[in-house]
Amino acid sequence: MKDNLFTILQGVPTSCSITIAALFFAFILAMLLTLILTLKIPVLSLFTKFFITIFTGTPLLIQIFIIYYGPGQFKTILIHYPFIWSLFSQPLFCIILALTLNSAAYSTLLFHGMVKAIPNDQWQACYALGMNKIQSVMIILPYALKRAISAYSNEVILIFKATSLASMITIMDIMGYTQRLFEGSYDFTVYLLAGAIYFIINSLLTYMMRRFERRMLAFELRTN
Amino acid sequence: MMRFIKNGLIDQINIMVHLFPQWLTDLPVFIVKITADLLTLLPATNVTLLLAITSLFFGLILAMFLTTLELSKIKVIARLTTFIITLIRGIPEILIVIGVYNAIPIFFNLLYDGFYLNLGIVKWWIQSDFSIDISPFFCGVIALSLLYAAYASQTLRGAIKAVPVGQVEAAKALCLSKTTTFFKIVFPQMWRYAIPGLANQWLILLKDTALVSLITVNDLMYQVRNTAIRTDSPFTWFLLAALIYLIITFISQGIIKLLNYRVTRFDKLGA
Repeated sequence: MKDNLFTILQGVPTSCSITIAALFFAFILAMLLTLILTLKIPVLSLFTKFFITIFTGTPLLIQIFIIYYGPGQFKTILIHYPFIWSLFSQPLFCIILALTLNSAAYSTLLFHGMVKAIPNDQWQACYALGMNKIQSVMIILPYALKRAISAYSNEVILIFKATSLASMITIMDIMGYTQRLFEGSYDFTVYLLAGAIYFIINSLLTYMMRRFERRMLAFELRTN
Repeated sequence: MMRFIKNGLIDQINIMVHLFPQWLTDLPVFIVKITADLLTLLPATNVTLLLAITSLFFGLILAMFLTTLELSKIKVIARLTTFIITLIRGIPEILIVIGVYNAIPIFFNLLYDGFYLNLGIVKWWIQSDFSIDISPFFCGVIALSLLYAAYASQTLRGAIKAVPVGQVEAAKALCLSKTTTFFKIVFPQMWRYAIPGLANQWLILLKDTALVSLITVNDLMYQVRNTAIRTDSPFTWFLLAALIYLIITFISQGIIKLLNYRVTRFDKLGA
């Protein structure tokens, strides 16, 4: 039992680093896409909506498989671009790319929803102060983001849970070690151990996000 | 003369054959092959849909059961249920699916062989006299309905609480019993608060069914994976599967819109 626990714990750094990398890139991409949607940039906003539909409408497992196995079909062409070819043959790159795109799609929906939920008065106040559209967005967006933190913490948990799919493309994360242990011993308690580890990390993440939210929205509490 | 024509004709045929590009001569074979592969996707999509709908059915029943437990007056039961729901929500879906698939047969085998349950003071010999063979499909249904129930019970609880207290008070004033109040007053009204959340979770459930391919259920994802490996064209086939999932999602969204319109039709009458 104890040996099993330590073996599974070896996967924790991998899972955590995938989560952090994916969340970091996804956040940047989601900000860009939210800006595009908010400013209603003609062609780009159409592309963004298409992107969101594709990535929120299909299972994550398929997205991961397309990104990891898909390029193999175009081997004859891609072999001439060694950089891209080597990039897509690394499972770690593929899982981070897949999770980034997936998370960016969901986060954009969330952020854009929050921006739309900001009362129209705020926009009017910005215009009254003589700001143009981009300047107003720079005022509204941080406010909307702070309001979105509680919903975004769900997204963080979802992404951490989704990293377990990395084991499907040969990455040794928590799930990968668990599967290997099970195949060696047929001892089903390893699943309970893995479940406990995931649950504890998720609880920690929830707690951290809640504290972060309270700090970010402190200015709202003070007025009450 | 005859020979010349004959030779010329053969030459011409030869030239024509060479004029045909390779892909044109291969085309009929290709079409037959791809049609056969495409036709295998139909039953596979059926399995995916059947899996999702069965899980939805059992998941909803389980969710109602969990909601009842969570709203119970006995604090211990309510707390325990909340903890179990939080636990399920905190564990990756894939772990639950694979864990259920791998653990259940071993657990039942253990029961069949019998074992000592050591509780310190007393020792119980536990043994069942039956052995159960559970199909992967049913394991998938168990895992997915557990997942669906964990999320849906939260929605249902919120929906019950969203029904205005005045409704319950009015029922009380009319001397309706508690059971009647729940089934005739609260239950019909809660759906308009519950449908959006439940529908959202249905869309998530639909996407989670792809995970069941990992436990050898012959669903859309499993079939596509096999075809992709056999034909050595993973990009095309996975993209096709993604498209099918997208179409199912679109159809679901249409049905949800109709359903939403139906449960909120009274609001529109008033306005």
